[in-house]
Amino acid sequence: MLKKALLAIPVALALGATAHAEKPPEEVLQGLIDSIDSRYLTQSEMNLMMMPDNPALWVGMDGEDLFHTPRGPNNVSMEACDFGKGPGVLEGAYVEMPRYFDDTGKVMDLETRIVHCMTEVQGFAADDPAVRQRHGSGSDHMKIQTYIAMQSNGMEWNNPLDHPLEKAMRDAGQVLFARRAGMSDFNCYACHGQSGKQVRASVLPNANVPEDWTKAISWPAHRVGHDNVRSSQHRVRGCYYQMRQAGMLAGSDASIALISYWTDMARGQPAILPDMKR
Amino acid sequence: MFKKTPLAAGIAAVATIIFAGGCAVADAGKNGKVDYTAMTPHELAEYLIFEANGGGFNLAQEMQEGGTARDRMKQDELQKACSIIGDGKPDAETLEAVRQAATESIVYPEGGIQLGDWERGRVLAWSGFGYRVGHNYDDHNVREVGGTCYNCHQFATDRVGGNVGPSLTGYGKTRGTSEPILKYVYDMIYNPHTYFPCTHMPRFGSSGFLDKQAIADIMAYMFDPESPVNE
Repeated sequence: MLKKALLAIPVALALGATAHAEKPPEEVLQGLIDSIDSRYLTQSEMNLMMMPDNPALWVGMDGEDLFHTPRGPNNVSMEACDFGKGPGVLEGAYVEMPRYFDDTGKVMDLETRIVHCMTEVQGFAADDPAVRQRHGSGSDHMKIQTYIAMQSNGMEWNNPLDHPLEKAMRDAGQVLFARRAGMSDFNCYACHGQSGKQVRASVLPNANVPEDWTKAISWPAHRVGHDNVRSSQHRVRGCYYQMRQAGMLAGSDASIALISYWTDMARGQPAILPDMKR
Repeated sequence: MFKKTPLAAGIAAVATIIFAGGCAVADAGKNGKVDYTAMTPHELAEYLIFEANGGGFNLAQEMQEGGTARDRMKQDELQKACSIIGDGKPDAETLEAVRQAATESIVYPEGGIQLGDWERGRVLAWSGFGYRVGHNYDDHNVREVGGTCYNCHQFATDRVGGNVGPSLTGYGKTRGTSEPILKYVYDMIYNPHTYFPCTHMPRFGSSGFLDKQAIADIMAYMFDPESPVNE
């Protein structure tokens, strides 16, 4: 245990340098646990213990390198990319996504914005592995997503709804959340409408309890059962899969609408980035 | 499904208008660009699923039950009526229409409801396999479709079940195997909306998720005195 704790120190030093990261993710989570009685937040004592050694921290470190290194046919770094707060500004950017981007005229989540940066700014082809490979701790996407998201650790979810498109997407996401379809007639409420419920051994987060919901949507997170860091897009795809609805397409406007709504449901609660999940 | 009631006709008419409206808005956007903000949230949600950039899902994929994912994403009358923002219930008339349609959907086995093989039922109740599509398609030729029952219910306590639905531990032991209780459980598996309109439990019979033999075997797991459920 001590050895692991010592190993974690350099990571914390390297990645905890931003002004808002004075509380590491495990302390952000502990604050939530202290504020509410929730079986969901407390279900894995092991994960709580392991969070200072979260493998996602290393994935984020790799992402830091990738982000700041000139890459792609245009040989530019991602510092030239705007994630909503100006080129290269990452602090607090992720908790204000999805958001409307003037340069594309679209509401984009973090993953689609990274794709945009890779293809439009760095010049990668859309079928380049750097762009195409979205999942797994070894993918550029998960490394970069984790690094960017970590610059919002402990900050409150606050996706903007001022632009009419942001509002339209959020409202459509609310409809999608409630929309039953497929072989099982499920919608998102089937699993996320009540507190203390579990599917098999997993305690489910209640979307109506923001303190629960902020942990639920705190992706990227190291998913212990998968032994990989996973994204919001991966989670949404998995939900549609288990609901026996159609296979969601990565970065589709439907997925972004749903993520806009689920972020709105956690508004005002601190993000746990990176998180660790079952 | 609701064709016999005037209310259902109303629901269908509204749905048609919404859908037609969505298409009209989508086609009439300025500069040939679709204006999401000109649609209602429901219109936009349907548009994002079925139309935007060719659809938000892999709609062309073939489904285990036949047809494509596009067909699977289309809502039937029950799914439309029970999709309520905030997870509330529709009005009493709609609930009654849902209940009535569910009752009419139930088909009973010839020769009455029989219990099958509890050991196969135990396997099926545990299995979460079947009808999943997309990136990791459930091939029904490789493995048989399970009932996903343990996702939401506890049965025998040798395995951990969910608690989204009520515990069914000791079900047959405490209730016996009279005709009414067997019919009740058969109905609940086949189409639970006959007792609980707009429940979250799937319609395992009406949807074709489980066949009659699978239902009989899962019921045996619940009722057979030899089954570990009734220890």
